Formats: sequence, C-alpha cells, structure tokens
Amino acid sequence: MKHSRAVTLTKCQDGHSLNFHAMASPCEVIIQSTDPQLAIKLGNIIASEVWRIEDKYSRYDQNSICSVINNSAGQTVNIDEETYLLLNFAEQCYQLSDGLFDITSGILRKVWRFDGSDKLPTSTQVAKYLSYVGWRKVKFDQQQITLADGMEIDFGGIGKEYAVDRAIILAKQLTNLPILINLGGDLAVTRARLNNAPWQVAIEHPDIDSTKSNIDNNSSTADMIISLTSGALATSGDARRYLLNKGKRYGHVLNAKTGWPIENAPRSITVVAPACIQAGILATMALLQGDNAEQFLSEQEIKFWSRR
Amino acid sequence: MNTVHKIKLALIVPLITIASGCTSLGVEPWERDLLAKDAMSLTSSPIDSALDDHIYFSKEASSGGKGFGGGGCGCN
Amino acid sequence: MKTEKTNIKAALTIATAALLGGNTVTHAETVSSNEDSNWEFDSAFLFYSEADRVSASEVILNAKKIFADDEILNLKLTIDALTGASANGAVAQPRVQTFTRPSGNGQYDIAPGDTPLDDTFHDTRVQLNGQWTQAVADNLTASGGVHISKEYDYLSLGVNGNVAIDFDRKNSTISLGFSHFQDTFTPEGGIPKPFASMLIGDSSAPTWDDEFAETRLGSEDDKTTTDLLLGFTQVINRRMITQFNYSYSMVDGYLTDPFKILSVVDDNGVAQDYVYESRPDSRAKQSIYAQSLYHFDTNVFDVSYRYMWDDWQITSHTIDSRFRIPLGDNFGRESYIQPHFRFYQQSAADFYQPFILNSEPLPAFASADYRIGEMTAFTIGLKYGMLVNHGHDLSFRLEYYRQTPTDAGFDEPGVLKKVDLYPTIDAVIAQVSYSF
Repeated sequence: MKHSRAVTLTKCQDGHSLNFHAMASPCEVIIQSTDPQLAIKLGNIIASEVWRIEDKYSRYDQNSICSVINNSAGQTVNIDEETYLLLNFAEQCYQLSDGLFDITSGILRKVWRFDGSDKLPTSTQVAKYLSYVGWRKVKFDQQQITLADGMEIDFGGIGKEYAVDRAIILAKQLTNLPILINLGGDLAVTRARLNNAPWQVAIEHPDIDSTKSNIDNNSSTADMIISLTSGALATSGDARRYLLNKGKRYGHVLNAKTGWPIENAPRSITVVAPACIQAGILATMALLQGDNAEQFLSEQEIKFWSRR
Repeated sequence: MNTVHKIKLALIVPLITIASGCTSLGVEPWERDLLAKDAMSLTSSPIDSALDDHIYFSKEASSGGKGFGGGGCGCN
Repeated sequence: MKTEKTNIKAALTIATAALLGGNTVTHAETVSSNEDSNWEFDSAFLFYSEADRVSASEVILNAKKIFADDEILNLKLTIDALTGASANGAVAQPRVQTFTRPSGNGQYDIAPGDTPLDDTFHDTRVQLNGQWTQAVADNLTASGGVHISKEYDYLSLGVNGNVAIDFDRKNSTISLGFSHFQDTFTPEGGIPKPFASMLIGDSSAPTWDDEFAETRLGSEDDKTTTDLLLGFTQVINRRMITQFNYSYSMVDGYLTDPFKILSVVDDNGVAQDYVYESRPDSRAKQSIYAQSLYHFDTNVFDVSYRYMWDDWQITSHTIDSRFRIPLGDNFGRESYIQPHFRFYQQSAADFYQPFILNSEPLPAFASADYRIGEMTAFTIGLKYGMLVNHGHDLSFRLEYYRQTPTDAGFDEPGVLKKVDLYPTIDAVIAQVSYSF
C-alpha cells in the first residue's frame, strides 16, 4: 500500500500533533506549542528529512543508494559522507556484537518467511544464503563500497532510528520547545515537557495482533507507560513475525553467523538511551543474546523493558 | 484548651484510617501522569506562597507550618 | 567480562557521536536525567493595600537552573517597599490625641474617635536567597540555603538545611529541615525602655533630645529564630497526595515592637499616659500542618489546615483552599481560573491587653498590638492564569483580605465604650506573575 506524502496537523490538548507516513510506519511529531504555524513548519522539516532518508536507504526503492549498492554485482559504488558514516556505524555494531549484528544478513529473508506458519527452511537452503552473509567480505572506505556479487546490505535495522535522531537535531535547530518524534514506535524527545513534566509514552503490548480490530480488547491491551524527560527509546522484536514448528517458536531475529533464529529471545525489548539509534542497536543486540538478553542489558546498566 | 485537643484528634483519626484501611497506598511510576502536573505539586506556585507568607507573617501571630516560619524581616 | 561489556555502551556512544555529530554526545552519558537546563525565571509584582493604612509593593525574581544530575540552584531576589500608616497600639479617644513619632522628631495628632495610626512608615527591603538541592543517594535529597534581608533599620541573616528520604517507589517521603536566622534591629530613635512613658511636648526644645534619650535603652537589639521541621508526604493514589508537618520554632531575643505603645487609661477610660510595650524575650511556637491535593477529572482541589500554638498562649487555626479549574483553550491559549479561600482565627497572647488601667498594678509584659490579640480573618481571591506562547506562564491574582480583631473579654470603662477598640482592617492584594 502506497501512502501519499502528506503531513496532517491536529490540535491537541496543549500543543499540536503532526502525522505522516514513512518507512512503512505511521509517524507522529508532537510539539508543545499553541502556534500552528510553527507546528506546520516543524512537521514539514521533519517529514522531509524522514522521507529523504527513506528514499536514500530503502531497499525497496530501486533508485536508493541501497539498491544501487545491492545491484552492483561486484562492482565498486561511490558513496557520500552520510552513507559512509552509516556504514561505519554498522561496522562498529558488527564489531561490538561479535558478528551477531550484520547488515548483510537481510538476504536470509529469502529463505525465512516469518508468516506464522510452520514452514521451516532446510539446512541446505539456509547454508546457501549464508554464504552471501558476512560483513567481513564487504570492502568500503570514505569514497566507495564493494560488495561481492549476490550480497546485499540492508539499513532496515538502523534506518528508522537514524531518522529519529536526525529529526531531533533539526527540531532542536528550529525551536527549544518540547517536541516528541515517533517514527513507528522508535521515538525521542528534545527535552522534558513544559514545567519539567515527563512525556508519557505508551508502548503497545507486542502480543496484541493489531490487525484484529477487537474493540473491547482494551482491558487486556495494558500498554506499558514510560515517562521520558530526555533521550530516546526504541523497541526491537515483533511478536507477529514468527514460525511455529512442532511446538517450537522461531522468532524473526536471525543469528547472522548460523542463519538460524536466535533461541529464547524475548518477544520484544524496549531500551532507553540518549540517542534513538543507540537504543535500537542495544535492543537488537540484546535480542541477539537470546536467553541472556536481560542480563546483557542489566550488565550494561541500561534501562530497558523486555517482554517474553 | 479542650477545643484544641478535639481538633488534634480530628486530624489524627483520618490519618490512621488512611494508613490502615488501604493496603496499597501509592502509585507505580507510570501512574504519575496527574501527580507530575505542576498543579498537583504541594507548592503549586512558590512565588504566590512566598508573597502570601510574607503578608500573613507581618499581619498575624502565626507563621510557617508548611515550610519554615522563620524571621527574615522586620515586618512584625 | 564486566569491563568488556561496559565498553559496548561507551563504544556505542562514540559511534553514535561519529554518526550524528558531536552535538548529541553531550547528553549521551545521562540516559534518564536531564541535560543542564536553561535558566528558568519566575517573576511577580504584588501590590498590597489596606484601606487608610499601609500599602506595600513587592517584586520577586526567581531564577532556577537544573543541572545534568538534577541538582537545582535557586536564586531569589525580593524587593519590597512599604509606606503608610500603622496602628500604634493606643486606643481611640473622644478627644484629639498627640503622639511623638518613633524617631523622636516631631509629633502627630489623631482626630477624636479615630484609631491612632502612625503614618511615618516607609521602608524598603532587599532580600536575597540562594538554595542548592541535590540527590546525595538514590533516595536521599539534600538541600541547603542562605538568606540575607536588609532594611533601613533591620538586618536578617539565615541559613537552612533539609534532607528528604524517599521510599516505597517515591510514594512516601520523610523530610527533616532546620533553619536559623540571626536578626539585628536598629530602629530609628533607638530601642525604647519597656513601659517608659512616651515623651510628648516640644521636640525643638533644647532639653528634648536628652529627655527623649532617657526613654531609650540603646540603639539596637537582636533576635535569633531556630526552626525545626519534620514532614511526611504520601502519595495516596493517582489522584491524591497528602502532606503532614510538625514544626517547632524557637525565637529568642528582642521580640518587642519598638513602635508600639499602650494607652494608660483611668476609670473613665480617658488616656492619661502612653507607655512603650514590653514582650517576653523568648517564644516557642509549634504547629501541625496537613495538606491534601486531589485531582478530579480536570480540576484540582488543594486544601490545608494548620494548627499553631505557642508559650504566649496564642493558638491559631488556618484553613487554606484553592480550586483550580482549567478553562481549556481560550483565545487560543490554555488557561485556568483558581478561586482561593482562606480562613484564619487566633486567640490572644496572655499578655495582650488593649490598654492599661492606671488603677491596676503594671503587669510584667503587655502589648496592645492587635496582631497578637484575638482575631478572625479571611481571604477570598481569584487567580487567572494562562499559558502564553512558548510555554510562558502569565497569571493575575486579585484577593480581598479582611481582619476582624475581636474582644477577648476586656471591660471597657467609660469613654472607651463609645469608640471602636477593635477596628476591622480591609486589604486588597493584586498580583501579576510571569514565568519565562
């Protein structure tokens, strides 16, 4: 479904809310200001930036730099500074996660379809695609990147969080009023609300199937409310994407080293961090720890909520 | 002095009811949406309080109670 | 193992800074606490005016800054100016009365039937407060402050300290506070001798200064005030919070008002003499205070009660209540109105008397200051506040304050029956506040 690129303005209790659609998610910007002009200006700046990042790094968009790289068939591709910085960040995450987080692992989706069915791929199928996975095989520097033929990179694991952080930077340049930016659940705030009140952020319970329109389900949808005065939060995990085979649940988080789902990973983890991209990576890294997800975050002294 | 004691009692009685009649006092951190408002802080307007304290301190024989009664000025 | 894991967080912080630019790394170390906030300012101008008596203007500027680890620095400047007339303590008479000004320079006359007011009150006061508050442990907050207040004839220096312990998810807080003030009073005309007769006559006469000096003890005196405060705050539920305080206050030193006198009357109530008042040199006050706030769907009700008692045998009851009603969006702005009602009642100090009978022996202490006599007072007011653009708070407050001194059972001989010994005082309080 293609959403039109429009920003809508809604007046809310003590400010304005701006809504648009990007990166396959509903996006929302809330500004605590009664000035509609300012709100519209902010909404346009942020939506433009998010759409710019989407256009540049979406693997679904044939014109994106991501697609150009993925379709390069072993040829070297020139990149700009922003792309270099993102690749560099992905490299750091690869190193820090000891190879578990790998932006070349997206290709495994061709054998893993987490549609709730019981269709597991065969070991042969997994092994075939696993040979196209491996950040170590990617050569890049500040000017260019070279991927082996058949390999793909995917900014899906960091793109949305990166867009939140970029949007926060732009928002802070425009005004010092309190602003919350929420791109499909990955969000950040510029500061506490007026009078130092925290933002109250409700995190949807991941077990709830949002496609089911169950009106009187409200009592069981006990959303988790998080008070946020600064920084960002991001959630990794998706309860709706799994396979169930012989009573065993296979979550959609794949081990880039084995090509198989991480066992006993929490269904979702929400992490609070100064920047959204940090929160997102920490949440993903925690999921990749499987059983030890919570312990991993506790040892890092990171504020998190996990759902199993 | 009798009236005095009655009033003290009246104050203490609701206190005890609150303490014993309700096993789950307090809220979880995410239930503080209303309490976090400025209007719900014990001194919702510190400036008003400071000005009022000064007026009543200089016009009446009582002061303090909520905060320090203090001296601080020659106004009484 | 542990160090290696901690490195992930630190390394990610560096990687994030490299990606997003240095401007985000500043607050990367503190996840849940604020960055250094900008200075926040609260300002107010208040005008207080009593019908035919004192009027006062007061300006407050409060500056607050919250640092990265939630340390709070609060600086406050208060300036007030007082002018007008104040009751000197003498009773009204059916004839003209003449009084000497507190400075000894000149006299003033009071018309028959009027409550004697001394109209020489002019004073300007400057006060500075500094307060630092910070968490010293997970659930322990400490605060310390200094105070200096200077008037033409008065200097007050103070320090205070407070610790607050939170427990049960910060739903309960116990706090312990201490404050100490050191005040020096150098009234114009000096400190009068207790019960010395007010010198009345020709102040330009050559012997006047010497005779006036005879009624004086010295040029200055001092007092100390030590307060202890024990508080308990409890969150009841999502809508309600309560506070209970006990406070003990010890005041030592010069507690007399050097400008206040008493009429010495004969059996017909006719004033024969005016003598300077005399109060004990210590006062121990105690009070209990309870407050509760309740959040209805949109309105907030704030009510408090205070009971105070002291060793001067003064007891008082104070009920203070506010009801905040949001008005939603008016004129494109969020606004509220807040009616205010306050009731106050006090009993008289044991040495309070409206006058002295010359047929009776002089007591050890006496004061005719209505402010320590039996009294009822109430305040009704209305505040209108609005959030103007960019989160700045603008509010207006208008209040009416009425003090009704009452007769604690003193006989009124002769002519005193025909005059008002307990005149009511009406005052208007107007205030504008702005936060930015």
